[in-house]
Amino acid sequence: MKRSKTMELGVGLFMLAGILGLLFLGLRVSGLTFTMPTDTFRLEANFANIGSLKPRARVTMAGVTVGRVTAIELDTDWYDARVILELDAELEGQLSRDTTAAILTAGLLGEQYIGLTVGGDPEMLVDGDTIRDTQSAIVLEELIQQFVSNMVSD
Amino acid sequence: MIDSPLVEVKGLHFSRGEKTIFSGVELQIPRGRITAIMGPSGTGKTTLLKLIGGQLVPDVGRVLIDGHDVHALSRKALFGLRRRMGMLFQSGALFSDLSVFENVAFPLRVHTDLPEAMVRDLVLMKLQAVGLRGARELMPSELSGGMARRVALARAIALDPDLVLYDEPFVGQDPISKGVLVQLIKKLNQALGLTSVVVSHDIPEALSIADYVYVIADGEVMAHGTPTSLDVDQDPRVSQFVHGEPDGPVPFHYPAPEFYRDILNQEGRS
Amino acid sequence: MIERILGLGRRGCDVLEALGRSALFLAQAAVGVPSREGWYLWLRQMHFVGVLSLAIVIVSGLFIGMVLALQGYTILVDFGAEQALGQMVALSLLRELSPVVAALLFAGRAGSALTAEIGLMKATEQLTSMEMIGVDPLRRVVAPRLWAGFVALPLLTIGFSVVGVYGGYLVGVEWLGVFEGSYWGNMQASVDFIDDVGNGMIKSLVFALVVTWIAVFQGYDLVPTAEGISRATTRTVVYSSLAVLGLDFVLTAVMFGGFS
Repeated sequence: MKRSKTMELGVGLFMLAGILGLLFLGLRVSGLTFTMPTDTFRLEANFANIGSLKPRARVTMAGVTVGRVTAIELDTDWYDARVILELDAELEGQLSRDTTAAILTAGLLGEQYIGLTVGGDPEMLVDGDTIRDTQSAIVLEELIQQFVSNMVSD
Repeated sequence: MIDSPLVEVKGLHFSRGEKTIFSGVELQIPRGRITAIMGPSGTGKTTLLKLIGGQLVPDVGRVLIDGHDVHALSRKALFGLRRRMGMLFQSGALFSDLSVFENVAFPLRVHTDLPEAMVRDLVLMKLQAVGLRGARELMPSELSGGMARRVALARAIALDPDLVLYDEPFVGQDPISKGVLVQLIKKLNQALGLTSVVVSHDIPEALSIADYVYVIADGEVMAHGTPTSLDVDQDPRVSQFVHGEPDGPVPFHYPAPEFYRDILNQEGRS
Repeated sequence: MIERILGLGRRGCDVLEALGRSALFLAQAAVGVPSREGWYLWLRQMHFVGVLSLAIVIVSGLFIGMVLALQGYTILVDFGAEQALGQMVALSLLRELSPVVAALLFAGRAGSALTAEIGLMKATEQLTSMEMIGVDPLRRVVAPRLWAGFVALPLLTIGFSVVGVYGGYLVGVEWLGVFEGSYWGNMQASVDFIDDVGNGMIKSLVFALVVTWIAVFQGYDLVPTAEGISRATTRTVVYSSLAVLGLDFVLTAVMFGGFS
């Protein structure tokens, strides 16, 4: 059978483009990264209420993304939410013990993320430690309820 | 064994839906000869070829090719048997996405592992036999009807089959192409020792090359014999068909109520 | 009344019979033993159904992405949430629009052509003559087309998504002035590779199978006349569009409907 080089090239390029497109969807659109697991360290933080925080949400420090939420589970000892964070390895031993973790919202309806603020403790957090000082998500309904009950009691 | 017929059709019944096409057809096709199967249009001549080729299964009856019951074979054995058959379709049925060369090479590539050089030699030989060696680079869409049929003939004989089935080879051809095809069928039959079955209603052409003729009508074999014996056959139906008379036992008119009554009938008008 | 019920029963039997026949047909065609020849036939069909459909898919993807961004922006800006534009564009594309619209375009562009091509091969007795030569047309003609469609449509869907996201970027960021960082950042935070890209791909694979299957079966099963071919081509487009939209609902309900 007669073979046509341009056709073979066309199909080859087509399939290559498909694979590159999938790569684009992975890296650029869904934000996958090829970082090694050794490049991160784990911290835990317990929150009374996580609002609508989801796994893979960003963890930021002064607005800069420094890690991600890897898992959220119910802590059956305290009946609050235990959030596992994975942070850049270069921050290991750099965050003080009294670092605060707060669940923040990007804009009024934006996604929720965790903001870290360092404190002044001379001791530093290492892999597997727990952040004690946390601030739960602001739940809009609770705010309104509070506001209304304040109005009523006034 | 040499004298036993290559193809035997025994007690063949076939119907399509409600319509009975064959009711007890008996045929014997001798080896190394050209047998013509003739009959008016619509008597299922093409269907008969498809039954012989194993594409259709009869309701009752058997088709034996060289002693093998075509319809009792496994799919694989049937495909093996078809290697020994070539079929020339009414439209030529060339593969429209392949060139003339590749069309003729197709059966060779499918059934053999011959080296490319040998495939080329064989294809050129077959194309030379039908006089179209120079057209090998053309695509089927660039061929005239007669040329397409000749290429299809080259493809049908590519594997040197024992049996070649021709489905209406002369239909829609100009007199020159008809002449060429008549010559080709005759020559190939002699040169390759083929057994040929020609289904046709082109009487002069078919009679001129056939060694033996079957006339089929109304689902049965109406007459059979050599061309000369059929020419003088006394049966009015046979003589009407062979001599091409417009009216006779096969009526000119489609069944209808009497003409004057139809004309005078006012019901149809409003 | 009895007549009607009888008629209904007959219709039902016809439909079931056609379904059974097409399932058998799919099974026979799909298990063709791949050979070197088969590989090349597949390549040729990939060119036909894939490469040649690329242009229409890319252009449509670009426009759909642009429209999504434009419409999304006017709604989101009322809530001050225009930074969520990237998220909206990417999720609607990946989960719904890319698989569905690409499949519909594919049915119109490649599916109808497959039906007409196979139908014409049937009408000109090419399939019969292939069988007489001792080659199974299911393997030689149908299988390469089936597999090419199955591979090509997911690739086209990826292309559609990529171009659509870029089209959304053009309108949202370049024209309407959404902050570039929040366009991509919001998108990356909300799109999950497995849940969104992966499920979209699964949809696309299902649609690819269904559309190509309908197309080649309609071609193979048609009445070999000019009218038969035109009817079968129409049927291919109608049936595959309905099948794609119906299946999309089912798949969405299973994947994103929270039945887990």
